[in-house]
Amino acid sequence: MADTPTAAVVAARPAAAVPACLLAWLLPGAGHLYLRRTGKGLIFLGAIGALFVLGLFMDSRLQMAVSLDDILASLFSLAQMAIGLPYFIARMLGYEAGRVTSVTFEYGNTFTAVAGLLNILVVLDAYDVAVGRKA
Amino acid sequence: MIQSHLISLVLFAALVSLVFSMLMREDPRARIRFGLMSFAAFVASAIVAGWLMSPFPS
Repeated sequence: MADTPTAAVVAARPAAAVPACLLAWLLPGAGHLYLRRTGKGLIFLGAIGALFVLGLFMDSRLQMAVSLDDILASLFSLAQMAIGLPYFIARMLGYEAGRVTSVTFEYGNTFTAVAGLLNILVVLDAYDVAVGRKA
Repeated sequence: MIQSHLISLVLFAALVSLVFSMLMREDPRARIRFGLMSFAAFVASAIVAGWLMSPFPS
């Protein structure tokens, strides 16, 4: 099948790739909003934001344990940090400790870490949109 | 807040499936189909895994 120019190629904005990725990391969906993919951006903001907020209300701990002593804890912290500003705002608001005795503690940890990991995929998607690989 | 394991599972599956469908498909109909399939796979696999683990003591 012959390649035909797509809307994605026509709308490519390579110069916007770096700011789009930075915005996408800072706030889920912000990179897509910057690239004028409003629907996608709002859905990412809503879905990933909901995962993170639900995780906080399930007593998740927002640990900041980046060191070589405990690689798994470091990777977990990096996964949570990947959601960007909401992580740091939640820590400032006093959600960093979590509640280890809560029955939903592990669920909360899973929700917040997966929200961050999904945001990494969203950053990569924003890059693909900016360079014209995706619509 | 949410104490039910099933509700947690359904919420998690729904939100992750929504993001996956937006990331992995471009066509709106394909997104809906992929999202529903992904949601069903999440829920079904969790229930099957729970059922397989049920004989083991907690």
